[in-house]
Amino acid sequence: MMADPPVPKVSRAPAFPLIWAVPLVALGIGGWMCLRELLHRGPEVTIDFSDASGVESGKTVLEYKGVSAGTVEAVKLRPGLEGVSIRLRLNSDAASLARAGSEFWIVHPEIGFSGVRGLDTIVTGVRINVLPGQGAPAKRFTGLDKAPAPDVTDVGRTFFLRSDRLGSLTAGAPVLFREFKVGSVEASFLSQDSTKVLIRIHIDAPYVDLVRASSRFWNSGGFSFKVSLLGGAELKDTSLESLITGGVAFATPDKEPLAPSAPNGSLFDLASEPDKDWLTWAPRIPVKPTESTAEPLPKKSILTDLIKP
Amino acid sequence: MRSGPATSRFRNNTTAAALALAAAIMLVPANILPVLSTGFSGRDRSDTILSGAADLWHQGSWAVAVIVFTASIVVPVLKLAGLGWLLLGSRRPGFGSPQRLTKLYAVVDFVGRWSMLDVFLAALLTGLVQFGAISSVTPRIGIVAFAAAVVLTVLSTWAFDPRVLWPETP
Repeated sequence: MMADPPVPKVSRAPAFPLIWAVPLVALGIGGWMCLRELLHRGPEVTIDFSDASGVESGKTVLEYKGVSAGTVEAVKLRPGLEGVSIRLRLNSDAASLARAGSEFWIVHPEIGFSGVRGLDTIVTGVRINVLPGQGAPAKRFTGLDKAPAPDVTDVGRTFFLRSDRLGSLTAGAPVLFREFKVGSVEASFLSQDSTKVLIRIHIDAPYVDLVRASSRFWNSGGFSFKVSLLGGAELKDTSLESLITGGVAFATPDKEPLAPSAPNGSLFDLASEPDKDWLTWAPRIPVKPTESTAEPLPKKSILTDLIKP
Repeated sequence: MRSGPATSRFRNNTTAAALALAAAIMLVPANILPVLSTGFSGRDRSDTILSGAADLWHQGSWAVAVIVFTASIVVPVLKLAGLGWLLLGSRRPGFGSPQRLTKLYAVVDFVGRWSMLDVFLAALLTGLVQFGAISSVTPRIGIVAFAAAVVLTVLSTWAFDPRVLWPETP
């Protein structure tokens, strides 16, 4: 007798064929891709500028500390033609730039005697820079027309100089003490009765005590070459920077006791030439070195070695 | 009539439908995510397929813009639509005669591989345009989604069995 034939295995067609896993996986991967992109996007901000020459949607980037922090998405005129609105998409890591108090400005190439700025924008087109604020999150900003003053954290002091003529002084020209730069010329304007020129200078914080009520200022710009019968030839030289851009130098008398520190906003006369003895004045005035000193000071031992004769 | 894979378990219309659905899903990130980022002097910009085509159009390269738009957006979408039509037509009447559907299948099958144009373009550019800081081209995640969509469409076309378009004769 033959054995019963083996019972055939009947497998039902699966209710859910395995192949449907493919679209599921595709959904997962596609969703993850989109989500990742969405998470990478930061908030959108709108900045109003009075002029936005060179800004292009999709190309112009926002940079902070030299790193891309967002991209311009749209540029359009504001209603009433009073300016330009720029819609900017921040990167997610730069989201905290969208705060009240943030200052935005457009960087154009700028070549002047006081330095070359934004030279790369000649090739790459303009970019937008930002100085982050501290306020609450915000969506709308008013852009600055030009970069904010570089030393917003530096207090220092402001003085006014009175002169017959401006000479070659321009904004940004150095203010020198012993031919060492301690400040800069900020602005110049005519006095109200137009008989004098007023020059506003700014002395950096560590050096404010150098300016005393008795200090003398003179124009150190340019160079002059004097030949006289008795005195021989005399060449007035100064630092190369002030040779080109003009500059202001000052000296403080060393007669003890020293005059008090000049208060903020004091007015001084600006001589066109220093008197001989001004250059010999050597008052002992301690300066406060600060963190903002550009170069680190050498180690103390080296410093004292250098100072000892 | 094809032979070979026609008889395999892989080749059935459920598979084709699943693959077509997966391709349709992948087309979404392929079109909304950037496919290529071009860097010029350290400045990056990313383009989706559409923004790339639009940029070409604005720059005056209308012919190239049309080619890119057709090859990358129109063709993949139409191909998927054709596949969907075929899959529906194989199940119920009213989608056209078997002859016409078979012709549609031939077209979809032929057109399939040409959509890889974009992927090849990205691969070529990435290889060719590498001048360090001056300019560079980097593929972005969208191109992966796009390639996946194209491959899935090709597989789906391949899995589709055109015999089902014809009514069974006893």
